[in-house]
Amino acid sequence: MGASVALDYDAELMLRVKDGDGASFGLLLEKYRASVSRFLFRMVQDQGVSEELAQEVFLRVYKSRETYEATAKFTTWLFRIATHLALNWLRDEKNERTQERLDQSTEDAPTREVPDRAPSVEQLMVHAVKVEEVRRAVAALPDKQRAAVLMHKYEEMEYSQIAKVLSCSESAVKSLLFRAYETLRVRLAHMA
Amino acid sequence: MDCPIRTQENTDWLLDYSAGRLDREHAAHVARHVETCQECARFVEGQQRVWNALSQWEVDPVSAGFDRRLYRAIEARPASWKDRLFRPLRPLWRPIIPLAAACLLIAVGVVLHVPQATIRPAASAEKIEAEQVERTLDDMQMLRELEMTPQQEGNTSKSL
Repeated sequence: MGASVALDYDAELMLRVKDGDGASFGLLLEKYRASVSRFLFRMVQDQGVSEELAQEVFLRVYKSRETYEATAKFTTWLFRIATHLALNWLRDEKNERTQERLDQSTEDAPTREVPDRAPSVEQLMVHAVKVEEVRRAVAALPDKQRAAVLMHKYEEMEYSQIAKVLSCSESAVKSLLFRAYETLRVRLAHMA
Repeated sequence: MDCPIRTQENTDWLLDYSAGRLDREHAAHVARHVETCQECARFVEGQQRVWNALSQWEVDPVSAGFDRRLYRAIEARPASWKDRLFRPLRPLWRPIIPLAAACLLIAVGVVLHVPQATIRPAASAEKIEAEQVERTLDDMQMLRELEMTPQQEGNTSKSL
């Protein structure tokens, strides 16, 4: 992902999409579908929501083709859209939950049906206990720290690229990651 | 090398060293430091444990209909005015290219023939002019002859 050749090729593909070449969009989708979906799933930890968000990411990429300028790495732009959508969703979800708690405590209004975001029994059976612990530990991280860890660990992004995605300085990313991993070290200390 | 944990500098070296991502030169520096620093050794050990635990978390691939749903959404989304304007022409775009090339060749041919076409009228104009001059000279000759005829007739009547 860090190779400059790959950068030029992806940006070139996107410029072709800008010129109306639908096949190039197909190539970009094929190349980044899995990584974007994986990142979003680990961010929101819900298969349905992460797929919806991934769809929105690629829709926005396609919609923005006319204004696209190859000024940054294509993946930086792509993960910036993905991170922005995930952080917004997490923020809205938190607000919704807070509002529900307030509603429940002040009124006797009928409770609204909320989709169960906890992993199903089937999923728990499939996933090992260790993985479940990892999931919870990552989910407990502050949103921005979580995004930084996921991009660093799973997408193997450079600090400078993560900084661009999160719109902060490289030193801020290093400090964010150091704190995040510190928390994870404490939470996952018992894991061999 | 100064202790990254105590100085809070180059902490990324420790993270990358634990992940096995640090380049050989820096990795050698960190390795030498870790041998003598218990705090950093503990950090590396804990970080490697976290790294391995995170590696166990795999994610299912997207559902089979992902692309189909995406393309359907793209089709359903209102297009920009440029797209709406040029979309009906897109299927014609490629077949039009040889036609356009042929038209261009014809246009070039016409342009190249224009000077010759302008020369021809000029040549014919010269021809016409010569003919006209010739005809005019004939006419003048005829008029002179006509003018001379009454005089000659007068002279003959005087002599009679």
